[in-house]
Amino acid sequence: MINVRGRDNLRDLRPRFQAMVGLVVLVFIGFAVRLCQIQVLEGDHYSRRAERNFVDVVDVEAPRGRVFAAGGEPLATNRSAYTLYITAWTRFVRDGEAGTVPSPEGERLSMDDATVELVISLIDFVDEDDEARFRDRVASLRAEQDVGKYAQLVRRNLSWEENARLQARLDGIDPWVEIRGTSRRYYPQGAITGFVTGHMGNIGRGALDRSPHLGYRPGDRVGQTGIERAWENYLRGRLGSRSRVVDARRREVQEPPPAATEALPPDRDPIPGQDIYLTLDVPLQDVAYQSLSTKLAGGVVAMEVKTGKVLAMVSVPGIDPNRYEQPIAASEWNAWANSPLKPFIDKTVQEHFFPGSTYKVVSALTALMHPEFDPDAEIECDGYLRYGGRKFRDTHRHGVMNLESAIIESCNTYFYQLAVDNVLSLERVEPVARALGLGERTGLGLNAEVKGTIPTPEFEAREGTYQGGVRLNSAIGQGNVKVTVMQLAVLYGAVANGGYVMTPYLVDRIETNDGKLVFESQQQRRNNEPVIDPSDRERIHRGLIGVVNNREGTAYSQRLSGIVVAGKTGTAQVGRDRRIARKGEVLIEGWDTTQDHAWFAAYAPAGDPRIVVVAMVEHGGTGADAAAPIVMKVINHYIGATTMQTETPPRAYGVPPPLPGAADPDPGAGAPKGAGQ
Amino acid sequence: MNELLDGPRDLWGRIRRDVDWVVVTLALAIVALAAMNLNSAGAGDWTGRVQAQLRWVGLGTVVMFVVAAIDYRVMYKTAYAAYALGVGLLALVPLLGIKVNNARRWLGTEDYRLQPSENMKVIMVVAIARFLHDAAAKSPRKGRQLLIPAAMVLLPVAFIVKQPDLGTGIMLLIIAFSVMSVAGLRIRTILAVVGSGLPSFVLAWRYLQGYQRRRIDVWLDPQQYADKEGYQTIQAMISVGNGGIFGRGVDQGTQNVLGFMPEPFTDFPFAVYAEEWGFVGATMVMALYMCLVLWAVNIASQAKDRFGALLCAGVASLFFWHVVVNIGMVLQLVPVSGITLPWFSAGGSNVLTMMIALGILMSVSRSRQYRR
Repeated sequence: MINVRGRDNLRDLRPRFQAMVGLVVLVFIGFAVRLCQIQVLEGDHYSRRAERNFVDVVDVEAPRGRVFAAGGEPLATNRSAYTLYITAWTRFVRDGEAGTVPSPEGERLSMDDATVELVISLIDFVDEDDEARFRDRVASLRAEQDVGKYAQLVRRNLSWEENARLQARLDGIDPWVEIRGTSRRYYPQGAITGFVTGHMGNIGRGALDRSPHLGYRPGDRVGQTGIERAWENYLRGRLGSRSRVVDARRREVQEPPPAATEALPPDRDPIPGQDIYLTLDVPLQDVAYQSLSTKLAGGVVAMEVKTGKVLAMVSVPGIDPNRYEQPIAASEWNAWANSPLKPFIDKTVQEHFFPGSTYKVVSALTALMHPEFDPDAEIECDGYLRYGGRKFRDTHRHGVMNLESAIIESCNTYFYQLAVDNVLSLERVEPVARALGLGERTGLGLNAEVKGTIPTPEFEAREGTYQGGVRLNSAIGQGNVKVTVMQLAVLYGAVANGGYVMTPYLVDRIETNDGKLVFESQQQRRNNEPVIDPSDRERIHRGLIGVVNNREGTAYSQRLSGIVVAGKTGTAQVGRDRRIARKGEVLIEGWDTTQDHAWFAAYAPAGDPRIVVVAMVEHGGTGADAAAPIVMKVINHYIGATTMQTETPPRAYGVPPPLPGAADPDPGAGAPKGAGQ
Repeated sequence: MNELLDGPRDLWGRIRRDVDWVVVTLALAIVALAAMNLNSAGAGDWTGRVQAQLRWVGLGTVVMFVVAAIDYRVMYKTAYAAYALGVGLLALVPLLGIKVNNARRWLGTEDYRLQPSENMKVIMVVAIARFLHDAAAKSPRKGRQLLIPAAMVLLPVAFIVKQPDLGTGIMLLIIAFSVMSVAGLRIRTILAVVGSGLPSFVLAWRYLQGYQRRRIDVWLDPQQYADKEGYQTIQAMISVGNGGIFGRGVDQGTQNVLGFMPEPFTDFPFAVYAEEWGFVGATMVMALYMCLVLWAVNIASQAKDRFGALLCAGVASLFFWHVVVNIGMVLQLVPVSGITLPWFSAGGSNVLTMMIALGILMSVSRSRQYRR
């Protein structure tokens, strides 16, 4: 019971109170010491950690350099695009009122299945594989928290509809899903310049490992083919960075506390990639593409004779490089990969073919270098030649031939005979061919050029194909002679310009984004002295003019009215006699692999050659019928477009042009003997 | 008796004499800082939590003065009834309580809810004080005198731990034990209980639930759980350290303003405060709490009777342990346990409890003046 009036004797409690006071004071002093440690002694450490919380340095992509044609037409530019980012592990933190927080604050939560399904339902996938890849990507981000806690790119170049759909549903899923404005590559000319510009693709793991010093990040887009690949280092800009204040949800804060803004590291502006100006003539390219694309497969190259500037470079079939900016259905990809037309291969430099009769120029030049060879000596053509128990065929019986008429009428027997006489041995032809740029890369530096092959005895021995007849076949561009379309253009260019083998080039100059010149191409000759003797050149030249302009010429039917063209047809036998589909081979309408490869190489105008054009149509038939019209269209367009007024009045059909350096030829020399090759 | 009659007759004079101005001043200072801090924690949003807190503070202040006006001997009489009521409410929680974040701790509705375990803290102090007062009159000490208060404590603790709310349960144990220690528990008993704390904890470890063990793990190495439970601890430390000596200034603490500081209203308001006011401000608040506790001990030592003395000692330990556990949690000295910082933490029952405790303090303080 409580003692109301008096006082309890509480002396026994006094020591306890004293102890209590002591304990309280001691604990508080201890806390003060701890506070001092955290705030005063280690304050800077924690301030830096606080900065690490809110400072977010984001990469700023540098705009990639653009590619322009000679006329200023853009071939590769950038367009704005929407890119989908997913943060698979998001930290849930206080957001307005409590109660919405589903778990301990600050915990990272994985994107849930329902959200994944929702996002998937809003995206238009091209096929199941595409969707499966997307699922795998998201699943791997959810599986690996260390990666998934950062915003990761999961899909590029959302379509406008996809973007709109996602934006509309973003409210519920925005802790995980974000759409950022980015840029994509755009190729206005599409497939027409597809092999020249090349296309972009994600950087491969190997390339990433090989180039740690270049600072690529996984998922970066890099040039895969064409100019995009070859000049990647110029086109690619330098990444910039922007620092920003973010809150705990890693969203940018619009009005951060001043102290936070002060703590931000300075921004670095991105350095845009450099613009590349090509020598490519877009209207000419278009003409070449339009005429070649009437065929199933082949290549065309047009080059400036005196400089080596590539004016047009077309390979068919090709794939619009814009396609690579979006997912490609597996079925479509497989169709491309399995197509016998090889749409991935640039047929101007990446594949070599038998040159057929176009190679006779090399044989003729070799023969002219032989001290005992008489170009005017006559050889009788019976339509074939027997040698070593084999019958070497010709197209038909040409009758009496000399060098010039053998070129004009493309007589094989004449050259067989020269080979039999050892005027054209492999040892003799090979150095000439090499001097003219065959068997070597031209130096264009695009699309993994192949070298082609020029057979030597050693080569034939290695291949196990060396026998006496090989030199006969080689003399007419068969056997083991293989060249690329680009090589042949360089070769005919050398004949046209008087013996200079030019290094072809596509890049005219490179400028920085603000127009400062970084690099300018110089024309490059492979040789200081002409590799062709002027008198030899004159003989060959006359022969090539005759091919187009002589009634007996194999390409006489393709001559142009206003322009004197010099050229050579080629019809390369590809060695498959019967049309038997190989196992698994895809049959394509109009694609007859028993047909020969058609070639036509020409330059014009004959008096002062400016352009050399070579066309090759795979399994196209005869050079005159399949390839020559393409070349003529290109030449006609180029000369027509670059000549203000015609230098000579148009010449009627059937009227032979004046041959340079020669007396008027007899227009009636020799009666027509049927279609030449 | 005479002094009582001879005292000032006018109201103002009596108020000046009867009100313990030290308590009022200290409480006012803490409440003011707490309100301002809650405003910071809410990023300047006065609606919602801050307003609710201020309403509770207003109500609590009235309750405080009412309790202060009551002669604490009335509490002596009603101590066991209050205890029965408190335990009764606790017993109702599992039946009628509402569930928030997987714990059933509240009675009432979502908006107006009472946390009986909070009120139990002050009821426990009153009940234990009465028992010990009575026991002292019936010396000599017997084992029974230890067992009965132990049972009195363990009954509500059992309810609370079941909620589950281990933190509050342990808090109740510590407060009751503190009062018993002051009341004359033998030194060796105190040492034995404190000493057996660690081994009994090891024994209890296997009975702890996953999340409770986890809290210990997190406390020992928060970095390892940085993306989970450790986040709060780490961010609280960063907030405190970011304050430096003089603090970042009101609404300038990046941790708080940018949302990195979790639970700024309940568990970690002190981290918000320490970031804004720095070492200087933080030690000042701790000093205010210390003064309040020491002043309570002072009142206790001057109380007329054992009941009053033990009441004040109980109130002192109530404040003391709350402050120590909460701030210790922020400073990573104790595991995260959900113990509130008086007035800084948002929560109606808590504010009310603390205000009642202050009222008890003032009531005892008033009576100690009637000397002789």
